[in-house]
Amino acid sequence: MTTLTTRSGARGASVDAPLGAPARRKRFWTLSRRDALTGYLFVAPQLLGVLVFVIFPVGLAIYYSLNDWNVFTGDLDFVGGKNYAQLLDDPQLPKVLGATAIFSIGVVVLNIALGLGLAVMLNRRFRGVTFFRTLFFSPVVVSVVAWTLVWGFLLQDNGGINGVLEQVGISGPNWLQSGDTAMIAVVVTQVVRSVGVNMVLFLSALQGVPSELHEAARIDGASNRKIFTSITLPLISPTLLLTAIITIVGALQAFAQIAVLTKGGPELSTTVLVYYVFQQAFSFNDIGYGSTLALMLLTFVMILTVLQWQLRRKWVFYED
Amino acid sequence: MRTETALRVDLPRVIEPRVRPRDRAAIGRRIALYVALIVMALPFAVPTIWMIASSFKPLSEIFASPPTIFTDSPTLAGYREAFDFQPFARQYFNSVYIAVLVTMITMFVSSLAGYAFARIKFPGQNLLFLVVLIGLLVPSEVTIVPLFQMFKNLGMINTHWPLILVTSLAAPCVLATFIMRQFFIALPGELEEAARLDGLGQVGIWWQIFLPLAKPALSAVAILTFLASWNLYLEPTVYITSPDLFTLPQALTRYTDAYGGEMWNTQLAAATMTVAPVLAVFLIAQKQFVEGLAHSGLKG
Amino acid sequence: MKTTKKLVRVAALAAAVAMVVSACSGSDSGGGESGPGSVKLRMTVWTADEAQLALFNKIADAYKADHKEITSITFDSLPFPEYNTTLTTQIAGGNSPDLAWMGDLSKDLIASDALVPLTDKLKDTAGWNYDDLLGSVTSEYTEDGKLYAYPFSNSPFGLYVNKDLLAKAKQTVDPANLTWDEVSKIGSAVNKATGKGGFVIRDFDYANWQTLATVWTGFGASAWSKDGKTCEFDSDKMVDAFQFLHDAIYVDKSMPGPGTTADFFAGDSAFTVAQVSRASLLDGSFKYDVLPLPAGPAGKASVLGQAGVGVLKSSKHVDEATDFLAYLTNPENAAKLAQFFPPPRKSLLSGKALATNNPKLNAAQLQSVVVDQLADAVTLPNHTSPAEIAQKGKTALDAMWKPDADVKQVLTSVCSAIDPLLAK
Repeated sequence: MTTLTTRSGARGASVDAPLGAPARRKRFWTLSRRDALTGYLFVAPQLLGVLVFVIFPVGLAIYYSLNDWNVFTGDLDFVGGKNYAQLLDDPQLPKVLGATAIFSIGVVVLNIALGLGLAVMLNRRFRGVTFFRTLFFSPVVVSVVAWTLVWGFLLQDNGGINGVLEQVGISGPNWLQSGDTAMIAVVVTQVVRSVGVNMVLFLSALQGVPSELHEAARIDGASNRKIFTSITLPLISPTLLLTAIITIVGALQAFAQIAVLTKGGPELSTTVLVYYVFQQAFSFNDIGYGSTLALMLLTFVMILTVLQWQLRRKWVFYED
Repeated sequence: MRTETALRVDLPRVIEPRVRPRDRAAIGRRIALYVALIVMALPFAVPTIWMIASSFKPLSEIFASPPTIFTDSPTLAGYREAFDFQPFARQYFNSVYIAVLVTMITMFVSSLAGYAFARIKFPGQNLLFLVVLIGLLVPSEVTIVPLFQMFKNLGMINTHWPLILVTSLAAPCVLATFIMRQFFIALPGELEEAARLDGLGQVGIWWQIFLPLAKPALSAVAILTFLASWNLYLEPTVYITSPDLFTLPQALTRYTDAYGGEMWNTQLAAATMTVAPVLAVFLIAQKQFVEGLAHSGLKG
Repeated sequence: MKTTKKLVRVAALAAAVAMVVSACSGSDSGGGESGPGSVKLRMTVWTADEAQLALFNKIADAYKADHKEITSITFDSLPFPEYNTTLTTQIAGGNSPDLAWMGDLSKDLIASDALVPLTDKLKDTAGWNYDDLLGSVTSEYTEDGKLYAYPFSNSPFGLYVNKDLLAKAKQTVDPANLTWDEVSKIGSAVNKATGKGGFVIRDFDYANWQTLATVWTGFGASAWSKDGKTCEFDSDKMVDAFQFLHDAIYVDKSMPGPGTTADFFAGDSAFTVAQVSRASLLDGSFKYDVLPLPAGPAGKASVLGQAGVGVLKSSKHVDEATDFLAYLTNPENAAKLAQFFPPPRKSLLSGKALATNNPKLNAAQLQSVVVDQLADAVTLPNHTSPAEIAQKGKTALDAMWKPDADVKQVLTSVCSAIDPLLAK
């Protein structure tokens, strides 16, 4: 019960809640004006940062997408919708979008399932629990490039993983050289490296679930599975939403993994949109088309976020 | 009620009762749990162990079949080459100072903005918060080309400015602001009432009352920001072209011989040096590390 | 009142942070102009070899001694795999070097009018002796009769042999009559006997398909027509060449498959095809030989990897940079550079001359592998938009590296992938 009330209490104290009300009543005008000024000054650095380094560049990207650009001479050539028409003509794009979808879904599903599973396993007291929490979290602090380089070694046809498999009599696949296994490899590499964050977030959410609820349900004869699906999951659903958003945005931006591990191959199978944007803009020097692709990526992210925001009403418990 | 929340944030609770060793079924379950955890731990632990062990191997042994973890003839050649081949110490310094600076600026900016969004009332606040949140959703790949042109016009290509400014004010900082806001919003209103009675203004309340309380959230922000900056790869690849200015992730991929052949052992040695200090700090401070993140107010 | 004071304190803190920022990165924002009359030149290169850089610096020091207006000449080593991207980014970012090495980016640079024509300056420089240049090696850098880059390195591909591995497998090579089939047969035997790789096309790595020109040229094939407009990957000769490679990988096991790392210079394979300049990687841990490329059905063929050096129009000191280039490449300095880079000058091209400074290869080897090959060598495929052609071609060719691939069909798909780019 406590959690329910505190949570709604926390939400009640949102931006509209009048705080420090008694003091305000005395010298209402001055204080609230001064407060407002302080408020603006406090958010100014952050707001300016977003305006200058995010929103203005998005505007510029729209402008670039209407131009062709010679990087060697700096000449800009207005081409109107040509780059957008190229989206439809690009024979590689459907494959890139497919790879992006598989990669993102794979990472999100695996990351959340594994993160939650680990959190449930480690949300109890036993010898070595701290050790295991630390261990599962440790790849998070390893730099992406270093991590991916090492997996690159291990995944070579004559590398460590197949070497171990050979010892037990299994002939391992040539991981990075065939489309399916390459995709599995980049997804797993990404998930193992980043699942620690989700695990910790779920751990903290699970610890917020009051044990009285579990006990009550157990007395009522509910099975463990039933308790998990009808009590625990709904209670941690806000965390689920948050991790889903963070993980999806992270997956859509996974660049280093692809650049180091597969360079998008074989046959575009791991060329996700982000990597494709980089290729077009910085390897092929086609900044106009690169910007167009980037804007498409942005549109996807926006749609996904809005969708999730809408969906949360359905599956996130206690939201108003 | 609210006080309770604030307290619980600092006290992780363990919900499962301690299992009595006499309970046989429980022992069986415990063994199964250990086995499962150990098997699952392999992909998390082996790459790091293998990386560190292999950085001492001679080149010919790295791809030896059957694979080995430890070598009979350890060598420091990879480590020596890592410094000979690139200004690795300088690159190390670059990564450290950029990450520290970015972390400091982000903690400052995000705690200010987070506080204002959570505790100060001003017109248009919800709209402004929404605008800031957009910063979290725009992938850096969308903005990197325009940003490149902007920094080019400012003469900041091949300097550390873009790495510092963008990281400490755009996406990673927005996440930090979000975390700080979520944390501040959960604190009880009585705090301000008391402070106001003592005659403190908003700045005073923020600095003297709320910041000291925000240590868990600030440590989460510090961790996430430091890692974000430390791991930055796309941005340095685009902005920085002189090896003297490289950051570590960028430097790691440059250990190739004059013709593009990979210098495997040198790469591994450099990667080990990149990872080891952070990992060591993490192992020493893991409790604060994990719990700081857990208590960041990111609970939803 | 108090709030204002606090705000001032916050502002001071922010200012302090900003000062730390500028203090820390102030030293990094170099690259600007120093005083009038002082010229700093920068040349991007992809070698990180200390001996090579030392030679460049020595030549630069000698030049500076006579040219007081030049305060410094730096040689900026960029990593080879990202050389083109980095150079392009520097040019686009307004941080252009004055001189640059160039490989397959040259066509793009020439086509976008980014290079300074060199012919007049070199012809006018006393003692430079322009006519000494070999026609076959300057053609890649020539457009409308003007030379845009000096081809300082013209390194033919040769076949390196690990004699120790061959002996272990009881195999011998007959240099005079060596064919690709023979190489594959020996490689297969070595693989069976020792488990090591047979032959490796160095740097190919199942991605950089341009290096396969060392094979398909012997089969009489080429990537595209002479004018660069039509794809020729679907020709019968090309199909034969790729069938040979495919069989070598999947039938004879004489070529390590994709994802398998086998480094000839670490003793992991019997043969490798690589440029003569790679001899510097030989560390003496096994007995070796270097031979000209094996013959294919179309006979012997020689293939060349080239590097040029040119002056960028975006340089702030075009005249000074061009003058330095003329000095760097004059007969005297060209002779010094020849110890590392097979020169484009006829007067320097003899096995004996090349061998004087080459610790790894003897005069006879250099005569047969370098000098005899240069006159009618073809270069690796070179075209505008190299990165995009490389990527599209690679993506299509990936389908080739499977046991059941349909060679003809894959090659046809390569053409449909790169034809639009060739036609541009």
